[in-house]
Amino acid sequence: MKYVILIHSNPQPWGHPTAQFLPEHQEVPPAEREQLDRNFEEGFAEVMARGEFVHAEPLGAPSTSRLFRWKDGERVVVDGPYAEGKEHFAGFFLVDVESHERAEEIARLFSGPGETVELRPVMDGGGNGS
Amino acid sequence: MWRREAPHVLAALLRRHGSFDDCEDALQLALLAAAEQWPRDGVPHNPAGWLVRVASRRVVDQVRADTARRGREERAARLDRVDEGVAPSPRAGTEDHDAGRGDDTLDLLVLCTHSSLSPSSQVALMLRAVGGLTTREIADAFFVPEATTTRRITRAKATLREAGARFAHPDARTLAGRLPAVRQAVSLIYTTGHAARSRPGSSDGTLTTTAVHLARELCRRCPGDPENAGLLALLLLTQARRAARFTASGDLVPLDRQDRRLWGRDLIVEGVQVLERALPVGYVGSFQLQASIAAVHADAADARDTDWAQILVLYDMLERVDPTPAVSLGRAVATAEVHGPLAGLAVLEGMPPGSHRLLAARGHMLAGAGLAVEARADLLRAASLTRSIPEQRYLNRLAADL
Repeated sequence: MKYVILIHSNPQPWGHPTAQFLPEHQEVPPAEREQLDRNFEEGFAEVMARGEFVHAEPLGAPSTSRLFRWKDGERVVVDGPYAEGKEHFAGFFLVDVESHERAEEIARLFSGPGETVELRPVMDGGGNGS
Repeated sequence: MWRREAPHVLAALLRRHGSFDDCEDALQLALLAAAEQWPRDGVPHNPAGWLVRVASRRVVDQVRADTARRGREERAARLDRVDEGVAPSPRAGTEDHDAGRGDDTLDLLVLCTHSSLSPSSQVALMLRAVGGLTTREIADAFFVPEATTTRRITRAKATLREAGARFAHPDARTLAGRLPAVRQAVSLIYTTGHAARSRPGSSDGTLTTTAVHLARELCRRCPGDPENAGLLALLLLTQARRAARFTASGDLVPLDRQDRRLWGRDLIVEGVQVLERALPVGYVGSFQLQASIAAVHADAADARDTDWAQILVLYDMLERVDPTPAVSLGRAVATAEVHGPLAGLAVLEGMPPGSHRLLAARGHMLAGAGLAVEARADLLRAASLTRSIPEQRYLNRLAADL
């Protein structure tokens, strides 16, 4: 079963990996930060070794986006960002795993101070009913 | 197609050299060499014998290289003698290969369901080793990149080696213990192919066809176990409905609304025959009962003619041998058909809520009982929980029509 792990973040300046550009992440004591990074490296190496990784893309800065909307019967195109939110959609990972529990385990790896990680199942084209 | 020979060649290699990953790698290299040489030089008289000889040579070379590294020369010498002794000529290769053909596919299936492997690894290995699918084909079937599949297979082979799994003729008791896992894996291959069928880009029914082929092999190699026949009958009867399951635009058509003229009559006849031969044998297990239910559906020319009373009896029996939530749900649906929606709702009452299938069934029953508002709420909730796009569209449409 496939899941997307969506990273919502607001690195300053915009950059990847997002955590390196987040004040909340920089405030973590160095020893603890190193431990967090190591946990991620090890966990992600396992995701790769198990053949669970399918695809990933980091996204450009929200200021580079273009928005297409409809207003009074006409198409209106303006510059981004989409919302003046605290966090922006920053990138995603697509994984293919055995179970929902395993997907949660992986999503947990991506979470850190100062950003939100969202786990969403992918819809399948076919059904297995009837 | 000579790729069908791959499992027999692999089995011959395993009997000689033992190590699954070495043999499998060697076989892939031999297949590559064949793809290069045969179109140029012509197909040898005995393709399987040729593959065994070439792959065997690779295994020996590999072991020799490893041995040189570790400074253990005797093992290579011993293997070399075995190789020379067994396959000195194409002729001898044939005999050796044919002699072992009896049960080798079954032995491979059993090895692929080793308990150290996760279900999806078991399936990937089976498709590779027994189904003869390439990594590319397996990757396409699961909609993942080829590199991902390669890593999974590599990992599965490493796991087998760490667990010390051996390729051997399992004794009767071991075999009896492993057959349920083999059947589960074959059934999982079928379900995966079945679910993928309508997805954009899914080409053919490689997985479903392979699963039916494996179920046939299982019956042929192990005819004494009626559950093998039950599995084959179930797959054939399900396969028969294939053309009627989706509209041209990819919308799911539930069983009661399928155009039954599209059902494959030949598959139904064969499925019923296989089942009828198996049922009197003795133990009637889960697959035979599931196949029996499918056969009752196949028997009705119109959904309204369905013998729901018989289906309910079969679900009662199925729930005793295989008490899963899906079976309980089936029993509730059959109860609603026989005794009315309120009786069906009463059966659902005792089940833990939450799954989209249960909510969809309850929505149907509530609609049947005339409770449109409650029915709509259940159907919309079920639509939001399912991960299947055709099913979601179907449930949303039902809710809108109430």
